[in-house]
Amino acid sequence: MSATNCLRCLKRPSVAGASRGVVVPIFAPRSAPFSTTAVQNAMPGKPQKSMEHQDRSIRVYRAGKRMKIRKKDNVDRGKPPAPGERKAFRKKIVLSNDNALPVPWVTQMEAGSLSDPKQIGKIVSLPPALQDQLRATEAFQPTQTWGLFRKPSTLVRQESVDLMSKMEEAVENKKTARIVLTGEKISGKSTMLLQAQSHAYLNNWIVIHFPDAQELINGSTEYASIPGTENPTLYMQQNYCLKLLQSIKKANEKILAKLLSVSSHSELPQNITVNQPLLSLINAAKEADGAWSVFQALWNELNAQGANRPPILLSMDNLPHIMKISEYRSSAFEKIHAHDLALVKLFTDALSGNTRFPSGGAVIAATNRNNGPKIPSMELVLKQRLAEQNGETEGVPVKDPYFKGYDDRVEKVLKSVEVVEVSKIGKREARSLMEYWAASGLLRTTVDEQTVSEKWTLGGGGVLGEMERAALLTMKI
Amino acid sequence: MASAANSLRLCLRASRQISVRPAASPFLRRALTTTAAQCARPGRKKGWKDPSDHFEFPEPYGDKVFNDLGEQLRYSLENDELTEAERETVQRALSEWENKPNEEKLEEQQIIKEIDKEFAPLRAPVRARRNAFWNAEEQDTDLITDEVGEDDFEENDMMAMGHAKLEEHREYREYARIAVWEMPLLSKFAKKFVPPKDNEVLRFRYTTYMGEFHPADRKVVVEFAPRDLTELTEVQQGKLCKLAGARYNPEKQTIKMSCEKFELPAQNKRWLGDTIARLITAAQDPTDTFEDIPLDTRHHKFKNIPKYPKEWYMSEQRKNELLAQREESLKVDMKKRRAHDLIDGVKLIQQGVLSAVKEKEPTMVRVKAR
Repeated sequence: MSATNCLRCLKRPSVAGASRGVVVPIFAPRSAPFSTTAVQNAMPGKPQKSMEHQDRSIRVYRAGKRMKIRKKDNVDRGKPPAPGERKAFRKKIVLSNDNALPVPWVTQMEAGSLSDPKQIGKIVSLPPALQDQLRATEAFQPTQTWGLFRKPSTLVRQESVDLMSKMEEAVENKKTARIVLTGEKISGKSTMLLQAQSHAYLNNWIVIHFPDAQELINGSTEYASIPGTENPTLYMQQNYCLKLLQSIKKANEKILAKLLSVSSHSELPQNITVNQPLLSLINAAKEADGAWSVFQALWNELNAQGANRPPILLSMDNLPHIMKISEYRSSAFEKIHAHDLALVKLFTDALSGNTRFPSGGAVIAATNRNNGPKIPSMELVLKQRLAEQNGETEGVPVKDPYFKGYDDRVEKVLKSVEVVEVSKIGKREARSLMEYWAASGLLRTTVDEQTVSEKWTLGGGGVLGEMERAALLTMKI
Repeated sequence: MASAANSLRLCLRASRQISVRPAASPFLRRALTTTAAQCARPGRKKGWKDPSDHFEFPEPYGDKVFNDLGEQLRYSLENDELTEAERETVQRALSEWENKPNEEKLEEQQIIKEIDKEFAPLRAPVRARRNAFWNAEEQDTDLITDEVGEDDFEENDMMAMGHAKLEEHREYREYARIAVWEMPLLSKFAKKFVPPKDNEVLRFRYTTYMGEFHPADRKVVVEFAPRDLTELTEVQQGKLCKLAGARYNPEKQTIKMSCEKFELPAQNKRWLGDTIARLITAAQDPTDTFEDIPLDTRHHKFKNIPKYPKEWYMSEQRKNELLAQREESLKVDMKKRRAHDLIDGVKLIQQGVLSAVKEKEPTMVRVKAR
């Protein structure tokens, strides 16, 4: 029923070859005065090119005794996609589907709706302004099924309420919540991260989001050593920094326009004096050169003590990637540990608790299971942390004394984080979700306990992504 | 018979004296020549055959023919390069020969001639026939039986397969006889299984190949659990495990070692016993208890055998629980159905389509061109 393309639009008007033999009435207008339809027979008087080709090919075949291998006539295959076009298509994010039915009971997300226990099991939609902000930080992912529904909306889960209340608690105490989201494949870790960001945006936090940690370490952006850093030498990634600054600016424009600088920054490409809005500070980064110093200045401004700054959310998806040796090499051609990249170091410092935000905030990182590298240290420490949080004393995993793959730096970063496991959803939540699917016109069944139970079981006992696969797979294009 | 003759021939060949021929005179080669070396050799005529083409036993003194043994010995003394001992032997043989009366000499000569005559065909080399396919008609002198006509069937017997079947039956019946008559007698030797006592810690395994010789029949394997060594403290047991290294199985918590160094199983067993005794004394040595070293289990692969979860077993209680859950869910559905709250995807889609149709489609309106 609700494909992204309307069924009526499937018949394309420009079928040039099909109507070739049809006699075109003389009185028919050549083209409509205002029409987007292609003219079917563009030049009726011109001889057809394809016939010519055919004749020549026959002659060649009959005349020669030896086989002649001719270069084929240039076949027009259309314009190849411009550089970046394929990637843009791959990364395209569609957030709405006009053919899906609107669901009447879905409410819009508000500042407190994600931390309200009463909202558990309800679907809330993202307000348009928030959508723009989330788009700017690349919080939506092309693999998620936003494009199936009328409006982008999410399910408020038990875990989301827990997470948001942790964030709120941290801000109340002016502390930094340091959280790592773990869980099975497609159990909703990235969506949880998106919810955390939504909560932060709606509560006027400053959000700095690294959408994919892999981009920082896989050698796809330029890097250079930061002068004056030794033992270890740190490396900046100016191009990535510029991109990050622009996304920060786009997403946090309103707040940054209100915040004023507390110190002057004469070292920047554009001199920033005291009491200038931070937005103009970001605007100083016009090119990749100097982006790192601008980012550093911004970070220092945001963390300035006694300046009444808003809380900060620092978040990162695909955490395991930054817990290993990066693809970059030093000038001595030695491999660089990911934690020696300045941007990564900024994040890991915050995650390990070395950096404290002046008015509190949160550092949230989500692990990934599909594409992520296996980091033995990380897995071990997270398991230990989880066991410690649950008060378990037996069966706590211990370090294998004879295994060489552990990394002390990773352990140091993660040793005091809080682990939130994004687990499977309950049947109540599953039912409300499936009712939403059915009301959107995506599930052609009556949603009763039996159907819910069936899909819940098929989805590995409530793994949200698997349930989606079981129920909506036919809908995904 | 042929094979006996053949072996005799081989013996004769081995005991024959090898002649010492003068080395071939080194002939000069031209520095640069296109002629093949063989053809350029002097003294070769058209009919010349390479001796390597048809091999014959080399005669010790070439074509020289001796009339009697004395002559041969004398020739040997004059021409052969002999060591002192050989020369002495030959000298002695010669004097013996010369002292013999003439009749004896003649008789002996006669015997030698006869023997030579007898063995002449045997000495002749067996040559493959030139036109034979795969040497099909070659005689196999090593075979004991005469194969000729062996496979011919003379209509007076069963076929070979029949014989094989009969042989099979005989074998069955032989074992059946053993099973009925001899096996029950074995129960006399049966020993009752006595579980090992607490002080019998070591379990040995020996290998027998039922009297046959086998290189592994001397092997002895011993297995024991360090836990059972009650005279050791826990720390000492741990040290013993660490000393055993890769011989320690952390899953079964046993140490297993084997020995096949020596010729007899008893010697191997003694060595194992001594080694274990040394291990225990080393484990009891308090100078280093190895407590700071973690147990190394890298040599062992732990098998993770998934078990059926306990919670999944169906019991009466679980059945009742499930029934209650189902009833509960039915009630929830009924309640919703009555309140018309149950969401039906198909119905909603139809409603949606209908409402979409009701909306008027935009139509083209003629506008005056400017």
